[in-house]
Amino acid sequence: MKILISLIIILLSLSLFAEKSNHQTFIELTKNLRCMTCQNQSIHESDAEFSLVIKKIVKDKLKQGESKEDIEDFLVQRYGEYILFEPMFNYKNLFLWVSPFFILILSGFILFINLKRNR
Amino acid sequence: MAFLKKFVLFLPIIITIFLFGILVSYLLSDRDANKPPSALLNKNIPNFSTVNLFDENKKLFKKDIEDKVTLINFFASWCIPCKQEHPLLEDLQKKFPNLIIVGFNHKDSKKDAIKFLEENGNPYTFIGIDDGSIGLEFGVFGLPETFMTDKNGKIIFKHIGPLDKKTIKTNILPYLNL
Repeated sequence: MKILISLIIILLSLSLFAEKSNHQTFIELTKNLRCMTCQNQSIHESDAEFSLVIKKIVKDKLKQGESKEDIEDFLVQRYGEYILFEPMFNYKNLFLWVSPFFILILSGFILFINLKRNR
Repeated sequence: MAFLKKFVLFLPIIITIFLFGILVSYLLSDRDANKPPSALLNKNIPNFSTVNLFDENKKLFKKDIEDKVTLINFFASWCIPCKQEHPLLEDLQKKFPNLIIVGFNHKDSKKDAIKFLEENGNPYTFIGIDDGSIGLEFGVFGLPETFMTDKNGKIIFKHIGPLDKKTIKTNILPYLNL
């Protein structure tokens, strides 16, 4: 009997933990999704019909055990990268991601050369 | 060596001009934040199956249109801009009777949709009922939305919002070599 009760408690805690983790992923994900019919609002913030549909899709897919990346890919395939607030790291966005670091390194290099020359 | 020194000296200016050029070209390009490019452009028509609005025994599948030039139009009776573009679709159907125009009646009631078509005319070759799932596959987020597909089953054009004469002339008519 004790073993059975312990097992039930463990299972309940596990399901509660999974639900909490799903809820966190849900918030994280919907905050990075753009409401396509709103003015610069995330799906998380918006109550527009489009946002409600996407929220339902995200919830259902999380329940089915799909990962955050799978859900993002699913939406990007249909609505394009525009639906993401944070651009994806791919060859199309390489310039966007790499250029700040490139400029920083280059500026540092030029500064270093100039300082060396002035000494 | 002297050239290299001069080059290093002018490098920040060159980079600034380069970045400024990119910024200006983006600003001057014909981009509209309210009309993002479709993710489905130049891709295959998504899988779908739908039943006819007037006769539930008639069905339409992706395979039925993937080898034909087809105009796909998502509409609803509750969508005011859909009413605005409707006469243009009727004109197209009259001028090009062989053109297949598939209408997807999106998240609408059957009764209202039929009333809408009775009042405004029916330019569609087939009207399929869409509970929202077909719209999702096509990445539809606002009505009306229109897609053009080619004989290879690829989406070659997408328009968000009501069609106008200029859009039809520039983006639809060139594909209608029927």
